[in-house]
Amino acid sequence: MIGYRAGTSPLHRAHPYTPLALASALLLAVFALGSPGAVGCAVLAAALLALTGNVLGYSARPALTLGLATWVLLLVLHGLLGPEPFAALGPVSVSEPGLRRALVLGGRLTAILLAFLTVLAVVSPARLVEAMTARGVPFARMYLLVSSLTLVPRMRARAALILEAQQCRGLRLGGSPLARVLALGPLVLPLVLGALAEVDEQVLALDARGAGLPGPRTALEPPADSALQRGLRWLGLALAAAAFAFRFAGHPL
Amino acid sequence: MTAPLVRLEGATFCFSGADEPALDSVTVAFARGEVVLLAGAPGAGTTTLLLVAGGFAPRLVGGTLGGAVCSDARRPAIVFATPWTQLTGLCHTVLAEVAFAPAGAGLPREEVRDAAERSLERMGALHLAARDPATLSGGELQRVIVAAALAMDPDILLLDDPAAELDPAGADDLYALLPRLAAAGAAVLVATPDRERAARAASRALALEAGRVVADGPPAAVLSDTPVARIARAAGCPAPLPLDVDALVARVAR
Amino acid sequence: MTGGPPAPPPARSLSLRDLVVIRLGVAVNLVIGQIVAALLLPVFLDAVGTILVAALAGPRAAIIVGLTSQVLASVLSGNFAWLPFALVQVVIALYAWGAARLGAFRRLATALPAGLLLGALAGGTAAPIAYFVFGGATAGGVTAVTAALRVLGLPLPVAVATASISTDLLDKTIAFGLVCLILGSLPRHLAARFPGLAR
Repeated sequence: MIGYRAGTSPLHRAHPYTPLALASALLLAVFALGSPGAVGCAVLAAALLALTGNVLGYSARPALTLGLATWVLLLVLHGLLGPEPFAALGPVSVSEPGLRRALVLGGRLTAILLAFLTVLAVVSPARLVEAMTARGVPFARMYLLVSSLTLVPRMRARAALILEAQQCRGLRLGGSPLARVLALGPLVLPLVLGALAEVDEQVLALDARGAGLPGPRTALEPPADSALQRGLRWLGLALAAAAFAFRFAGHPL
Repeated sequence: MTAPLVRLEGATFCFSGADEPALDSVTVAFARGEVVLLAGAPGAGTTTLLLVAGGFAPRLVGGTLGGAVCSDARRPAIVFATPWTQLTGLCHTVLAEVAFAPAGAGLPREEVRDAAERSLERMGALHLAARDPATLSGGELQRVIVAAALAMDPDILLLDDPAAELDPAGADDLYALLPRLAAAGAAVLVATPDRERAARAASRALALEAGRVVADGPPAAVLSDTPVARIARAAGCPAPLPLDVDALVARVAR
Repeated sequence: MTGGPPAPPPARSLSLRDLVVIRLGVAVNLVIGQIVAALLLPVFLDAVGTILVAALAGPRAAIIVGLTSQVLASVLSGNFAWLPFALVQVVIALYAWGAARLGAFRRLATALPAGLLLGALAGGTAAPIAYFVFGGATAGGVTAVTAALRVLGLPLPVAVATASISTDLLDKTIAFGLVCLILGSLPRHLAARFPGLAR
């Protein structure tokens, strides 16, 4: 399952920006790496991050599941259908450069998935909001990222209700492709129109509570940060930059 | 008689895209210490009057305002009937949600926390402080929303059918709170179809019809059609008619 | 406690109303997928919110809807592979705004062809990203089609482009049709709230 898992690992206790920065550094770095070996190291680094957060099992399983289809397709697209030269791998003949490409691309995807699923598992949304507030992130940015997520379950529940109600009125979900496309109308329109009708109240409520005011907001429980963590974050980004520097200098890793 | 906090003179308000004005030549003043009930059928303009008195219309909802609105109110607070649409969506605990307004003013942490806790206590919701707002029932959430409005220490409190989601005991508590808030120095305006409860709490009632104020005075004089008042009139009770069950019982017992 | 009535925002920043509408657009993008799945339709319709906000609130708001939806969709599904496709969201937002300004959403007869064209544009923008970033393999149906076309002998870039565009044609046509219906069903008092709808 994807999502936050409570815990007491160093990553859980760290300032929320730290795992986020490390995963972002990894995300940047993998695109600079060009060989299966280097990308393999990136995957190991992501696994190490997950291990530090005590969430290796939680991140690895969905990372592999989500990436599985892509891995298979990559191996087919590049491994089997790639350019010359071919080598024999058991009963199958695979394209050597193609296989290498597939390993690099698949490894990139796996490293990214593993790193960010780890971040999702160790960073609690409440703490992240507090960290952002303490750093002076403007209300607008936090509202868009966080409040959109909290609106989703409510909207999903309403969509399910509308689905039931329309079915009671005779709407059929099956049938010809055209019938199914036409069924979109009675399901989507009430949902969107209902949401649009609520905009006024939201705007008024937010405004009355000072959401539009400029100036710093007080964080109630700002997470602790340390020089060590700040150093780690910068180090991560520096390593990513170095990887790109190597690549542009003609010595891709 | 205290100086008015908000004064409307010949105020006419039309929503954009509407043919008829929502408020038509309304001249009325609201002072601190009053609890005013705005009574009227749906579409009569009660909600619009709340928005105009609070300075929210036309600023936030568009439309055109004619006449004059003078307001000395610095901190208007507004509460609507459905709690979910009034959540910021940003806060994962009730305490953070209630603290949203004072935190936005950049006050020191302890002050913010105190203001939030005091508010929650006033609404009988302090036990919900650590809960996630998404897990609360409609009634609990509405208490939190009202607490959030009170946390700003508003000088004018505007309520639009605030007890719609509350159970009867909760509604009683909310309306009982309004005179106390007024006594502490706020002007309280409440638009609601719940005339019996509001009449008990209100010191003044305004009746609106098609955007015009047709009556303005003590609730007993302005409201004559609560179910209890109709029964009392049919039974031949002399004016002023009792407006709610308690008043009728008291009258009959005499 | 101090605090007067909020000053109007400077012209360059977003108003509170814009923010609330953007949030709505993002939620619509993220939620419609569930309706589409219930109907077993081979589309995502994950840009309906972006297109709607483009018509209601302009290009800037729509771009923010698109980018935010991308990020949040990745957070919700765990599939962060979609992040590089941010450019496609910008294309969709700008095109939808242009279409709205030209009145394409006034009738289905103009909305549907406009959607078809966007499908070609969006698919065409997504294809090079899929090719360069992921070697042509992102996930799901698009890539299966790509593989099938490769087996038939098409060179990889062409296969990627064809698969990407053909799935997007249907998706964006339906999306434009839906937004046309939504805008047409808006009651007058709601429509008047949105300056983007010049009627």
